[in-house]
Amino acid sequence: MAHPQIAVFARLAKENSQPTRVLAGQNTLLSRTMHDIRYDAVHDEIFVNNPFAQAILVFRGSAQGEEPPIRIIQGPNTRLEGQVDRLDVDPVHNEIYIPNHEKILVFPRDGNGDVAPIRIISGPDTQLNDVESVAVDPIHNVIVTAGARPPTAPGQTRSQADQVYGGALLIFNRTDSGNVKPIGVIQGPKTRIVRINQIQMQTTKGWIIATQPGKYEEQEPEGVFVGVWSINDRGDAPPRWFIGGPKSQIKKPRGVALNPKDKELIVADMRLNKVLTYYFPEIF
Amino acid sequence: MLRIKQFPRESIAAVVMAGVAACVIFAGPAHKQELTGRPEAAHLKPTGYPQLIATQPLPEMGGEICAVETASLQEPIAPRVSAAANRAPTRDADRSPLRIIHDTYPTYSAIGVDTNSNEIFLQDENLFGIKVFNRTDNTPPGAAFSEPKRILGGLLTKLEFNCGLYIDPKSGDIYSVNNDTVDRMTVFPRDAKGNMKAMRELHTPHRAYGVAVDEEAQELYLTIEHPPEVDVYRKTASGEDKPIRTLKGDKTRLADAHGIAIDPKNGWMFVSNHGSASSPTTKGGRFDPPSITVYPLKATGDTAPIRTIAGSKTQLNWPAHIFLDQNSGELYVANDAGDSILIFRETDNGDVAPARVLKGPQTGLKNPTSLFVDTRNNELLVSNMGNHSATVYPKTASGDVAPLRTIRSAPRGKLADMIGNPGAAAYDSKREEILVPN
Repeated sequence: MAHPQIAVFARLAKENSQPTRVLAGQNTLLSRTMHDIRYDAVHDEIFVNNPFAQAILVFRGSAQGEEPPIRIIQGPNTRLEGQVDRLDVDPVHNEIYIPNHEKILVFPRDGNGDVAPIRIISGPDTQLNDVESVAVDPIHNVIVTAGARPPTAPGQTRSQADQVYGGALLIFNRTDSGNVKPIGVIQGPKTRIVRINQIQMQTTKGWIIATQPGKYEEQEPEGVFVGVWSINDRGDAPPRWFIGGPKSQIKKPRGVALNPKDKELIVADMRLNKVLTYYFPEIF
Repeated sequence: MLRIKQFPRESIAAVVMAGVAACVIFAGPAHKQELTGRPEAAHLKPTGYPQLIATQPLPEMGGEICAVETASLQEPIAPRVSAAANRAPTRDADRSPLRIIHDTYPTYSAIGVDTNSNEIFLQDENLFGIKVFNRTDNTPPGAAFSEPKRILGGLLTKLEFNCGLYIDPKSGDIYSVNNDTVDRMTVFPRDAKGNMKAMRELHTPHRAYGVAVDEEAQELYLTIEHPPEVDVYRKTASGEDKPIRTLKGDKTRLADAHGIAIDPKNGWMFVSNHGSASSPTTKGGRFDPPSITVYPLKATGDTAPIRTIAGSKTQLNWPAHIFLDQNSGELYVANDAGDSILIFRETDNGDVAPARVLKGPQTGLKNPTSLFVDTRNNELLVSNMGNHSATVYPKTASGDVAPLRTIRSAPRGKLADMIGNPGAAAYDSKREEILVPN
C-alpha cells in the first residue's frame, strides 16, 4: 500500500469515523507490511514489527504523530533473518516472541538495541517450517504458532502449494528451547487450515483464535474464516467456532484482536480495507 | 529494619493479571474520545448528571442472545487432555458485525494525466479502482464531491492495492501497478471502464510500487519496495516475462524503494527511498535516512548511486512517487509524511535544500503520494491520499499556495482513514481503542 501508518480508532468508531490518533512519518521508523501489532496493557506499550529493517519497535501506549519508538530491537546479535513478520508480547513473564521462518526467537520485553535472544526454538523436531505467526498464553504457559505451511516445489506458486490443507497450529510449552517437539499439533482437512495469519489467545478459557485469509494470490478466496480452537485440541480437530459466513461479510481476514470487557472480537479484513467488530460472548 | 518479602514469580504474575482483568471488568464509563467523535456530543454541556448522547438501534444478532458469562481468572482452567477427547463439533458462529470501521470514499494513491484527451486518472487504493475525471474539473466548495466520468474496477480488473500509474502519452493506455497480493501490472485501453479484464498483464515481483517508461527505448521501469530493486522490462512485457535488467544489491543503497523517474536525455535514473532495509548478505537490518538515489539510466546489478540526495535540509519524509520535468531539469517529490511537494534540481547531491517547497494550509496537500507535471498546460497535479482529493497548481508554485482547481471525492474536510491492507489489529483496553496498522 502507498502509505504506512498505525491508525487508532475509538472502540465505537464506525463507518467514516476519523481516527483518534495516527502514528506515521519518518521518525516513527514504521514501514508497510506490519502484519502484527500488540498492546501491552500492563506496561502501556505498543509492539510492532518493521519487516524490512528486521526490527521490533516499541512505542508508548499513547504514541501519536511522528513519535519515535522508545525501544528498538535490531542488529546481527538478534539472529532475526529475512522478513520479521509477526510477534507477541507476554507482559507477565516480560518476554517477546518472534516467529522467524524455521525458528521462534524469545527476547526480553525490555530489550533494546542489538540484543541476543534469551531462547530459541529451532530444529527438525519442532516441525517449524515457514512459521508465520505466534501467540502466547501466559496463564496456561503455552505458545501457539502457525507453521508447517507446505513448502513450494520448484515452479510452483505459493497459491498452488497452499492447495493442500498443509497449514498447522503447533503448540509448545512457553519455556521450551532448542530442538523440542511441539506438545500439540492441530492439522488436517477437518481443521480447514490453509494458512494462518494473526493469532490471539483468550487466556481465561484457553482458546486459540486464528485468522485464515485463504489462498494467497486470490483476491476473494474461498474458505476464509476466523476459527477458534482449544489449546487442548490435537490432530485433525475442526474449529470449535467458525466465523466466516455471509452474515460476517468477511472476505480476507488477516488481523484479530479481543476486547474481553465487552466480549467483542475485532477483525481486520485486507480485501475490504475494513475493521469489523463482532459480539462473541461464547469465547469469553 | 525494613524487610521485603520475596514472592514467587508465579504469584506476582497472577496478581498482575488479576489487576489487568479487574481494570478491564470494572473500567469506568466510555472514554471521552469516543464521545467527542459524535457530532451530538458537541451540543452538550457538562451538567454533572447523565445525559442522552445518542440513540442507535440494537445490532442484528443471529440466534438467541447468549447468557452473559463473566470473564474471570477465577474460572477453572481446563486440564490438558488427550486429542481424542477434543473433537467437539464446529459451531457456526456466523453473525453480523456490530460495527464496521471503513472509509466509504476513494483514497487516491497515484495520479496520471492524458494531455491529449484532457483526462485525469486517479488510482483508488481504498475501493480498488481507477476514477477518470476531466482535466479541468473543479469541485465547487459547496458540493459533496465530484462524480468521475468513468470508473474502472472489479474483480476482473485485478486492481488491488493499486498504487502506481502511467498513462501512455501517445496511445493513452493505462499502466496500473498493484503493490500487494495480486502481484500484477495491468494495462488497459484509455477508455476502459467497468469490470473488465486488462488487455495485458505482467506478473511482477511482490511489492511493486513505482513505474516509469523510457518511450524512446521502449523500456518500462518498476521499483520493488523490498527486497529493494529496480526491474526494467520491455515496455510490451506480459505474462511471466522476465526483466531485461535488474538493479539491486548492498552497493545500490536502495532501502524500501518507492518512486522512480528517468531522464533519458542525460542518462539518469532517480529512486526515492523510505529507508528501512536489510540485506541477504549481511546480518541485521538498518534504518537509512530517507533519500533520492541517482544511477546511470542503464545501471544493472549491484551499482552504487552516482549521487544521493539525503539529510535534514532536504525535508524528505517518506518520499513517495517522483516525477522529472526534463524541460526544466527539476525533480518533483510527493513528500507523503511532510504534507508537501519538494522540488530539487536533478543535479542536486548530498544534504541540499529543495529549490522550492509547496506546503501549508492553503495548498490542500494532505499525504501527497503522487504527482504529474503537465508541461503542455504548465501545471502540477497532485493526488492526496489523506483527503480524498487531487489538487492542481501552477507548475512553478511555491510556498503556501492555494490550488487552481481541486477534484474532491468526499465531503469537504473529510480526512481519509487511509486504512490499507490491514494485516493485524490490537485492542488498547486502557483507552478503549482499536489499533490498525497498514
